[in-house]
Amino acid sequence: MKYDAIVIGGGHNGLVNAAYLARAGKKVLVLERRERVGGAAVTEEVFPGFKFSVFSYVVSLLRPEIIRDLDLPGHGLHILPLESTITPLPNGDYLGQWGDHDQNRRELYRHSPRDAEAYDDYGREMHFMAKAVQPILGMVPPDPTSLAPSDLLGLLRLSRHFRNLGREQFHALYKLMTMSSADFLDEWFENDALKATKSASGIIGTFLGPRSPGTAYVLLHHYMGEIDGVFRAWGFAKGGTGAVSEAIAAAARRFGAQIRTGASVASVSVKGNRATGVVLEHGEEIEAGVVVSGIDPRQTFINLVGEKHLPDDFTAAIKRYKFRGSSGKVNLALSELPDFTCLPGVGPHLRGAISISPSLDYVERAYDDAKYGAFSRRPYMDVVIPSMIDPGMAPPGKHVMSCFVQYAPFDVQGGWDDRKREAFGDAVVDTLAEFAPNLKRAILHRQVLTPADIERVTGLSEGNIFQGELALHQLFFLRPAASFAKYRTPLRGLYQCGAGTHPGGGIMGASGRLAAVEILKDGA
Amino acid sequence: MTDAIVIGAGVNGLVTAAYLARAGRKVTVLEARTHQERASEIGWIPPRVFRDLDLVRHGLTVTPPDPWISAPLPAGGRLELWQDLSKSVESIRRVSPKDAERWPRFTERMAKLARLLETLYLAPPPDLHSTRVSELLRLAGFGWRARRAGKETIVDLLRILPMSVQELLDDWFEHDTLKAILGAGGVSHICEGPRSGGTAFVLLHHHVGSPRGVFRRAAWKGVGAFEEAARARGVTVKRGAEVRAIVVKDGRAAGVALASGETLPASVVASSADTARTLLGLVEASWLDPEFVRAVQHIKTRGVTARVKLTLAKAPDFERLLVAPTLEYLERAYDDAKYGRVSSRPCIEARAEGSTVHADVQYVPHTLREGAWDDPRRNALGDLVVKLLGDAVPGLAPRVTAREVLTPKDLDARFGFPGGHLYHGELTLDQILFMRPVPACAHYVTPVEGLYLCGAATHPGGGILGASGFNAARAMLGGTR
Repeated sequence: MKYDAIVIGGGHNGLVNAAYLARAGKKVLVLERRERVGGAAVTEEVFPGFKFSVFSYVVSLLRPEIIRDLDLPGHGLHILPLESTITPLPNGDYLGQWGDHDQNRRELYRHSPRDAEAYDDYGREMHFMAKAVQPILGMVPPDPTSLAPSDLLGLLRLSRHFRNLGREQFHALYKLMTMSSADFLDEWFENDALKATKSASGIIGTFLGPRSPGTAYVLLHHYMGEIDGVFRAWGFAKGGTGAVSEAIAAAARRFGAQIRTGASVASVSVKGNRATGVVLEHGEEIEAGVVVSGIDPRQTFINLVGEKHLPDDFTAAIKRYKFRGSSGKVNLALSELPDFTCLPGVGPHLRGAISISPSLDYVERAYDDAKYGAFSRRPYMDVVIPSMIDPGMAPPGKHVMSCFVQYAPFDVQGGWDDRKREAFGDAVVDTLAEFAPNLKRAILHRQVLTPADIERVTGLSEGNIFQGELALHQLFFLRPAASFAKYRTPLRGLYQCGAGTHPGGGIMGASGRLAAVEILKDGA
Repeated sequence: MTDAIVIGAGVNGLVTAAYLARAGRKVTVLEARTHQERASEIGWIPPRVFRDLDLVRHGLTVTPPDPWISAPLPAGGRLELWQDLSKSVESIRRVSPKDAERWPRFTERMAKLARLLETLYLAPPPDLHSTRVSELLRLAGFGWRARRAGKETIVDLLRILPMSVQELLDDWFEHDTLKAILGAGGVSHICEGPRSGGTAFVLLHHHVGSPRGVFRRAAWKGVGAFEEAARARGVTVKRGAEVRAIVVKDGRAAGVALASGETLPASVVASSADTARTLLGLVEASWLDPEFVRAVQHIKTRGVTARVKLTLAKAPDFERLLVAPTLEYLERAYDDAKYGRVSSRPCIEARAEGSTVHADVQYVPHTLREGAWDDPRRNALGDLVVKLLGDAVPGLAPRVTAREVLTPKDLDARFGFPGGHLYHGELTLDQILFMRPVPACAHYVTPVEGLYLCGAATHPGGGILGASGFNAARAMLGGTR
């Protein structure tokens, strides 16, 4: 049986890609290695009664056109807002950032009148820049080395876009692209905890610290979710992140796509210069007009295609492409809510994020540990309690807590083993317990995921949550390699649609959609 | 009346003055210091400036160091890299045959990128928002040149400029000492470590104008030649003339007021002092927009390099020596600076002139987080430098007869380097090209009509002698014509 397209990997981008191809009338088959779809966007009942968004845990960047085109709400997607962030401070106080503008202003004023004044201007500036960058997220990157009319036109369009921003905004955007988040925030604010908490979103998923140039851009990348118009803020999917994948999968099926789970692809079949299908682990061969890979560039080209079918300079570029997984995840099943010393009892703060980022130095020191091959002794953490918003995630009266932790280097000295994993889990719990002393006794179960675990379970190389670092030299027309950033590959009939292509990570779906557009353009 | 006043008799100020005089302007250079203090300058002098000012005739000389660097090897001996490419390959082969094989390809690709940068450096920074046909043609010309250099070069340009020097080197080489030599070039005079993005650009910036395979600049002797050249073209150089203020009338620069109380009128003023000193220090604040003031205050001038001068009883056995065995050593040295401390094991690059050794020591913060610079701290730094150099060059320590330690704070106080930063602003990606020193001044103009900037604070910045001055003079002549 021959398909028009086979999509390797049932992560959210693969599913989006399949849905769009199926919507265009193509006969599509999605092959997912695990027993469930979603890739890193899955909900699992890790401990009886306790459900976790095991890996990716917040939704913010999902493209509005995808939500519309695939009618995701109609397929069960429901986003619950996550509106506040509190940062506990070592002196027993806290810094809150609230969804309500006036409440937020009063809170900031308490810490720094100057920052309270600057905050609105900052918000406007970031809003403008996010708007300036958004069209680029929805754009197929032109190839600057090509002389083809479509590429020259693309470059022209791109330069016109930047020129139209006007000098001032262009310069502001240029600074944002090249500065460190610490330097960038220093220009706006004086309060250390505020800068640290904001800067933290600039380091997520990268092996860089807040003082490393290039992190200011990642800050913007994460800011986009806050302005998308469709969702006012970051949020949880009801039923966990897996519900996003399930909704996309349902949409894809409705358009006629087939999804096979438990189907692990062993290799991509190549005849001459053309991909003709795939071979599964157990030997089954499936033919298709095109093969689309939703898994990362290293897995795709080095493992499934093989170097012998690819040009040397391309293989070299893929091998140079940096993953450097730097984050881990600790999922806790709790018998009671954590009681934070800075804000005792149950309150609205537990419905938002809790950021362990008391100062820029704190986060930078966490990075220092990782640079030299250790996990952070006192890590940066983004903590949420999904059961506070979606009670279905835990048994009555009990709770689930998700801790995104940085830094945990994939290449930890001596390699990851059980002892080191537990030590890492202890560092996380000990750090949190400093701010919420009842935490240790509240823990019923704990799941610790190192980058090595993330790689093992999801297949993401080196456990990098974005299928490759979001560093300047790996973005746009360089993602994942120059001349092959337009979802095409050196092999005819083989495409990429994962986060390893422009515009990259987060539950955005843009790579999957843009790849589908290009595949259809090629008349596959 | 003088047509133009140039503030500061450094290389850039004098070059600006000489070019203005060459175009028939009556020029006066005002310099606070009474005599030329620096005997040598390190950097690249664009050949055009060199020729136009006839600098050889005025006594400027250079002997490129050969080897251009030597660095102790962990197993003893030194890795030496030479002006001659094949000689360097031989040196590298002794420590890593693999790296030796890659050296010619690497240096060729870096040289190509440096040549592209060079075409950007002898002209005002590109103005991406200009609607003038001439500027659009210039941009197209650059694009064309990049394309002609080949696909690989375009990709290198886009990919390498924002990279960290460590990532660049990890792509190519395996030997620690070799990587540290290049890595130290990537962090020179910048408050970043080798893992920081943009440091690959710094390596290239300092490579512009050097022969292929040479990543350190020569020292020019007889720097007085710049003053001679300016005088020969009719420039008046007044020393001991400290400028207290720039006189602004009706929004236009009208001259300067000296500390002596004297006022000198002029139709244009060019300042080679740094941006903050010029605009926030010498111009009355009411002439400036608060947003502009904020931008100038945010220029990063985090001086991190101390200068230690050692006098030895006998000339040492090296010309240039690097103490920084690995990239990790450099990164750890930077870690200290992040938290406002002197590196406990700093990177030292020493240059011998006869029996005098000039050591650039990085990272030494301008402002310490704990305590303030005083003599005991200065002495401790001096001791550390002598010890580390002594470890690298056996027998050196006991031969030190005198030493002078200048921290960035001292360099600020003595030479007026803002924040102790030699280049009047770090060469980070957000402070180069059209961003340097701030976008509003990128074309050497300021918000005050008739007041120009011509120092290292402007494009292309430090390490390139006279290019800022040359570009500024051209901007001024275009503007007053």
